Amino acid sequence: MNQINVILNGKPVIGYDGESILELASRYGITIPTLCHDPRLEPYSSCYVCVVEIEGMRGLQPSCSTKINEGMKITTDNQKIYKARQTALNLLVSNHYADCVAPCKQTCPAGVDVQGYISLIEKGLYSEAVALIKEVNPLPAVCGRVCVRPCEVACRRNLMEEGAGVGIDYLKRFASDKDLESSERYRPIPKPASGKRVAIIGAGPGGLSAAWFLQLQGHYCDIYEANPKAGGWLRYGIPEYRLPNEIIDKEVNAILELGLSQIHYNKKLGENLSYKNLKDNYDAVILAIGSQGSTPIGCEGDDAFNVFGGVEFLRNMEITGQRYDFRGKTVAVIGGGNTAMDCCRTSIRCHADNVYVLYRRTEKEMPANPIEIHESKLEGVEYMFLTAPKRINKDQEGKVKSITCIKMELGEPDASGRRRPIPIEGSDFDIPVDYILAAIGQKTVAPFIDDINNFSENGKVSLNKWGDLDVNPKTLQTGNSKIFACGDAVKGPATVIEAIQQARRAALSCHQFLTGQEIKVEDYEFISKKDNFKKQVPEDYKTKYVSQKRHEMPTLPANKRLNFDEVELGYENDEVAVLEASRCFECGCVEYYTCDLKKHATAYQASQENLKGDFKQFDVKFDHPFIEIDNNKCILCARCVRICSEVVGAYALGLVNRGFDTFVAPSLGKSLLETECESCGMCISACPTAAISENVTFKPGPVRTEPINSICNYCSVGCELEYQVKKNFVWRVNGAFGHINQDSNICAKAKFGYNYINDKSRITHPMIKENGNWKNISFNEAFKIIYNKLKEKSTGEKALFAGARLSNEEMYLISKLYEIADGEKNLASFSYLGRGNAFAENSLKNVSFNEIPETKRIFILGTEINYEHPVVGYMVFNHQFKNNVPVVLITEDKNNSISKKADKTIVISSYYNFIKAANYYVVSNNLQNQIYLDQHYKESFYKYRDNILGSNYDELIKKAGVNSYDIEDFVKEYNNNHNSVIIFSEKNLDAETCSEIMNLAILTGKLGKSAAGIISLKEKNNSEGLFNMGIVEGTEKFNVISNYGEKKLLDKIKLRKISSWFIFGEDPVGTAINKIEINEWFDEAEFIMVQDYFMTETAQKANLILPASLPYETGGSFTNTQRQILEFEKALNPPFEYCNIGQFLSILHLAGINGMDSIDEVKSEFFKQFGNVGVNSNQLRITEESVNIKLFENAADYISNKFEKDFKSKLKKQIEYERV
Amino acid sequence: MEQMKVLVGLASCGIAAGANKVYDKILAIKEQEKLNFELTKTGCIGMCYREPLVEIIDDTGSYLYGEIDDVKITEIIEKHIKTGEPVKEYIVKTDLFENEDDSYWKNQVKIALRNCGVINPEVIEEYENAGGYLAVKKILNNNISQETVIQTIIDSGLRGRGGGGFPTGLKWKFAFNSKSDEKYIICNADEGDPGAFMDRSVLEGDPHSVLEGMTIAAYAIGATQGVIYCRAEYPLAIKRLNIAIEQARTKGYLGKDIYGKKGWNFDIYVKEGAGAFVCGEETALMASVEGRRGMPRKRPPFPAVSGLWKKPTNINNVETFANVPYIVLNGAQSFNKYGTEKSKGTKVFALTGKIKRGGLVEVPMGISIKDIIFKLGGGIQGDKKFKAVQLGGPSGGCIPDYLAETPVDYDSILATGAIMGSGGMVVMDETTCMVDMARFFLDFTQKESCGKCTFCRIGTKRMLEILTRICEGEGKEGDIELLEELAYQIKDSSLCGLGQTAPNPVLTTIKYFRNEYEAHIRDKKCPAKSCKKLITYTVNPEKCTGCTVCAKNCPVNAISGERKQVHFIDQEVCIKCGVCFSKCKFEAINLS
Repeated sequence: MNQINVILNGKPVIGYDGESILELASRYGITIPTLCHDPRLEPYSSCYVCVVEIEGMRGLQPSCSTKINEGMKITTDNQKIYKARQTALNLLVSNHYADCVAPCKQTCPAGVDVQGYISLIEKGLYSEAVALIKEVNPLPAVCGRVCVRPCEVACRRNLMEEGAGVGIDYLKRFASDKDLESSERYRPIPKPASGKRVAIIGAGPGGLSAAWFLQLQGHYCDIYEANPKAGGWLRYGIPEYRLPNEIIDKEVNAILELGLSQIHYNKKLGENLSYKNLKDNYDAVILAIGSQGSTPIGCEGDDAFNVFGGVEFLRNMEITGQRYDFRGKTVAVIGGGNTAMDCCRTSIRCHADNVYVLYRRTEKEMPANPIEIHESKLEGVEYMFLTAPKRINKDQEGKVKSITCIKMELGEPDASGRRRPIPIEGSDFDIPVDYILAAIGQKTVAPFIDDINNFSENGKVSLNKWGDLDVNPKTLQTGNSKIFACGDAVKGPATVIEAIQQARRAALSCHQFLTGQEIKVEDYEFISKKDNFKKQVPEDYKTKYVSQKRHEMPTLPANKRLNFDEVELGYENDEVAVLEASRCFECGCVEYYTCDLKKHATAYQASQENLKGDFKQFDVKFDHPFIEIDNNKCILCARCVRICSEVVGAYALGLVNRGFDTFVAPSLGKSLLETECESCGMCISACPTAAISENVTFKPGPVRTEPINSICNYCSVGCELEYQVKKNFVWRVNGAFGHINQDSNICAKAKFGYNYINDKSRITHPMIKENGNWKNISFNEAFKIIYNKLKEKSTGEKALFAGARLSNEEMYLISKLYEIADGEKNLASFSYLGRGNAFAENSLKNVSFNEIPETKRIFILGTEINYEHPVVGYMVFNHQFKNNVPVVLITEDKNNSISKKADKTIVISSYYNFIKAANYYVVSNNLQNQIYLDQHYKESFYKYRDNILGSNYDELIKKAGVNSYDIEDFVKEYNNNHNSVIIFSEKNLDAETCSEIMNLAILTGKLGKSAAGIISLKEKNNSEGLFNMGIVEGTEKFNVISNYGEKKLLDKIKLRKISSWFIFGEDPVGTAINKIEINEWFDEAEFIMVQDYFMTETAQKANLILPASLPYETGGSFTNTQRQILEFEKALNPPFEYCNIGQFLSILHLAGINGMDSIDEVKSEFFKQFGNVGVNSNQLRITEESVNIKLFENAADYISNKFEKDFKSKLKKQIEYERV
Repeated sequence: MEQMKVLVGLASCGIAAGANKVYDKILAIKEQEKLNFELTKTGCIGMCYREPLVEIIDDTGSYLYGEIDDVKITEIIEKHIKTGEPVKEYIVKTDLFENEDDSYWKNQVKIALRNCGVINPEVIEEYENAGGYLAVKKILNNNISQETVIQTIIDSGLRGRGGGGFPTGLKWKFAFNSKSDEKYIICNADEGDPGAFMDRSVLEGDPHSVLEGMTIAAYAIGATQGVIYCRAEYPLAIKRLNIAIEQARTKGYLGKDIYGKKGWNFDIYVKEGAGAFVCGEETALMASVEGRRGMPRKRPPFPAVSGLWKKPTNINNVETFANVPYIVLNGAQSFNKYGTEKSKGTKVFALTGKIKRGGLVEVPMGISIKDIIFKLGGGIQGDKKFKAVQLGGPSGGCIPDYLAETPVDYDSILATGAIMGSGGMVVMDETTCMVDMARFFLDFTQKESCGKCTFCRIGTKRMLEILTRICEGEGKEGDIELLEELAYQIKDSSLCGLGQTAPNPVLTTIKYFRNEYEAHIRDKKCPAKSCKKLITYTVNPEKCTGCTVCAKNCPVNAISGERKQVHFIDQEVCIKCGVCFSKCKFEAINLS
């Protein structure tokens, strides 16, 4: 490649001929934002986000499609470029009618990710849900009981008009309670101790939360609490029937348990604690003192005895531990907020005869939570609306006698938006009462200010005009730079969740202060909102969702409430929680964490308000079982359209209309299912937003997941995958930039075939069948039984089977287990049983996949490659697209789907005869590469020549179902093109045909050449490993064939000579082509052992079952069809004690076979045997036409078999559904 | 006496005006009365404003009759054909005496249109008799090399007539220099500008000149296949092209071993475009020919390197090709003697809008806009005040009255902010609102955007929304600046010419008529009294005679009033159609 000198941002750099500016810049570590560019595709240049400036060129140039030239001077960032990118993004988001986050999260003062934790709750991941909540709210069990739930008001489920939004708080409470009970309770580990100390004044929700966030940053916190117990308002204000003290204690404990804090009780700042002390001992102070004072009623006589502030009334009981006795008394509660509710419901519990709530507006205007009002009425509280106290009348002792009220009417709305109450003259009336509880409001009491300011050296703390602590509203820093404040003392009386939000902010500011950083407000985050375009109305939802009423939480019956027992009882069980979770619409975007549009819009401070105008609205299309299309989110980068045509070659998607009306749609306006869509999911991988995403069957969150890289365990191509996992649940599968799939492409099987991993019916215990029933046994018991069964004499012979999906290490150990077995030993894999061992040579001299782009002509023999080995198909059809290389399909199936993509299709009636005829033609016309043959195949060539010339050419052609010129053309095209390759799959061909293909490649001198010869594709991820490990009958280790065409074991089976079966990772019964016959094999068995993930049909016949671990639960290696050993790590533990390797080693240890204790030792032992790989056994093989005796579908693998069936049936069912 | 010849202008313009009927009438009388004269069809004669046109050539000279109908043609046949006496009052042009329309013809130099309206386009021999196919033969007979042909075109100074103005000879040279086993010639006949019909007229009136031009280009670069990409809305052009191609094949001018030269293969087919404006852009055009969605791609690679089917391709427009045979036959100097230093030769313009004589004119480069409008075009309809001219269609810009002395050449026009474009000239008078005009063109480009680039797809939409709200009196302070900002960004950040030029009408109108924008935004007034939401029609009680004409004609019954009483217009109901204004004979309707 020619080098090109370029000036990039003023620096001379070296580029390569043909390189784009984007590629060059990225090699030099300069990231240029782009939305429409995908390295897998031809440059397109539509988004215009990647623009750069080039000296001497007009305007700005898209860097993705502009190739570098000698001497080019490129600037990748300046004001003009920034502005252009920003405008491009402003324009894109101005037509992006979509929500990044759901209204629930947007509305929550603390920004709790409701949609995320609902998704986790759905999967039973309660501690993970709590962990997510605790990122911003350390008191979920408390909030799950007492939060005012603005989220539920904002919930779009309300638009269904079924009564209520999603029971968000119920779910939060359910998860939190489960977590508190759990042995694996969420316990984060704080950062290493910073050495900084913070004094927090007040152990209410604000102070406690501040302590949580500061500790997590490694700061030590001393909390000073005026009361004898922690919780503040939670304990001293909220009655126990709503929030049991036990819950407060547990959550306080979880905060203290972080280990960097301590609460000092009965310490009140300004009384028995002086700022002098704090100043000397702490690096910073947080004031979280709350609003401690009650607002008086403010009418004549409010100084009477038995008139209490509501707050004092509630607090007194908690402090003294004594309940008031209101027996025979009448209580009037004044006010309409939640404190009023606590007062009236507590009064009922104190046995008052009558409890009135006096409120000057109507019920509609009451600020109290409607549920509270509802419950209070159930409990017997009476309401007097439009009623205000005018005068309190005392008796001689100064005690309350009655209250004179005045009726009100509602006038014009006031500043709060509520209609102002106006007294009606002359409407006075008296109510006799014994107690009055004034729940009108609270105020901040801060008698310590002088104490602070007296000793302060960093500025003064002061009160604002409302009497609250004066702070910078964004940073919550007071006038004293080391003092921060949060909660009610700053905001005035507000909610728990607001106090928590403030505590987090104050803790962040404090942390920034402590670490010497600038105290700054949060960075800009772009958030797309549907509400920016239009108000959401019921019609937008009612037609699209099924109505489902809220599952209300059970409560104590009203007649059992004359006590302080908790009224709300929590959801009954997991199923109820899942049911309620299912009501969530998932308004927030599934790509919240990964969306490129959001990322760039954030970086360039784009806004939806900036270039507002007309926008497009679409219905989301769910008709495809795996692929969901949401055109609202589409930015028309056409990556989906292009990957579908350029790489997959399906042309299932296209652009419709022009200009602003353009949109992406399945071709010809059909449903995606009716197009040539291959359901491969490549479009999803290309989409930079969530316009095309996976149509999942669970709530996708989004939640932050962990990537686990592993090798795909479907076909033999060997793609590297990235499982996105949380706990043991796989959220999605992406392609990794693997050794084989270097551009991260994967297929439908990898992309959508992961549900089995999340399947809760997985086997997790060794089990033994007793009297027809399964019984869990210990691993050790199971190992002993297996060892004994291998060792002991049995009525017949023993046979061990290893599946083609197992790792090399597992196969190696199974071949070791075979050494234990007594008597005649039989080792095989059902996947190749009876098919002969000539397949062993297929992969020895394959053209490497990455040489496909260098081929000049491609023949596909039989395989529906885009379905059977799609990632190789992508390589082929991308090559065809980019370089116009002809692809010829030779097939027995005239409906072969590849014929639509192939440049030419030859329909034949016999692969074997077609290839053999070609070989005859080569030899009879002396077209063979004699030099090559003389060098490598001298001996076998002449034998082969003599043999094949003895065949009847006319008969071969006739059986092949072609004309002689077809053979002639084929041979010429294959032989004469230096870089031609035949691609075939073992699945469709028998061993004899494969041998003849090898013969053709040898005769033409192509075998083993670069970008010429053959590519053979095996069915399973480690089919090749079966040969390498000597598992296939008739092979020794590393593909050395001991005896061609070996079928001894099958004969024995048929003669019922096998009595003990040890089957690892195969399901011969479930995958049998002739199920009746295969069933019979096992019916009279003495002992059957099966190791698998699930209760397969074969497992049901077993006596003993071992649970199987997943590849990434074990680690190891697969050998792909190119004989590349692809290693993968152990990333998670299996949901049981022993992974497969551990199981095999344990059994071997019982037999005294030692020396291997870990997977690495297993690996190194079999690698030692690499040295023993024999001489090249390749030779021209003389073959006979055989009947294909393939016995099992999908290489006898349960997972592959299940996927094939499910995949096809889902697609089919969906089409039928559409037609109805 | 030679046989009398009667030509009927049967291009689309003529047909639309009823020329087919006239032709049929002449034919019927001729056959009925067994008259002896030659009746022939020809292409666009140019005076579209006088269609239908019939030309009679006898031994005294040529007489062009305009605005012919059944009655007039009968009279002309009776007098002129039968007795040889021209009917003077219908003659719009003759060499024999002066005519009021003569200034339309003076200053015209016909090169591209040399055969239009002269020959029958459906008869190859007529083209040959007019010197057709002699240019190719000249090349073959004299063994002129490819390089020499290219040099001749370079020397002629011919620049692309489709709008870009790139030197044609250089384009050919690039394609010639690209090595490939296959090369293509494409004729861009996707004429899409509103108000432009030059290419259609050439294709309908002289298709062989295009075929010959393409053949010469094919020879020069070494192409074997030609494609004429013609919009499907030009059925007559397509029909005549196909006839011409078939005739040329029969004559051995297309196909294998053409002109008897062994091994020289070149054939042409017509590809019908589906009418997307953007397909006039060459990369989009090629995508469309290949059967893909017509969307532009980034250049380079230029078509000369990687074009149709990724092979070297040369694309020129119809008018460019029509000039080629003339240049090759007559030498570069015959062409470059016309024009200015950097813009040689002639250019065809389509005159439309508020002009007296709309039609097709071919003038030497360098003539002033004023001369075209006033000398050739006869000035403004109704002798209203000339306000501006829109040049270059939706990609172009407007040139105001005070710049009317600007000579038409590529660079002078570009300096005003407009572009030469393909030659559409839309003339506007004082009643044209410039904001509304900009809105009209932007509406066109916005809808015709292929939807690929962000700026063109959404940016033009936003500009259009702003223009619409300005026209509706809802403009805000800052809108002009926002329009300008968006306009420059769209120009800077669009892939193809459509997006890069779409803001031109807006930018030039803001440049020259900023006060009109400001009047809409600040005073909520449309100075041209054209924007419906900003005007009101009221009755002047002093002038109203109560004749009831306005009330009778009002389509929405917004006008009430007793006979002989002053009438009243209900503003709530009025749709501002202006019918009352135009119907009132007493100027009693006020427009404000």
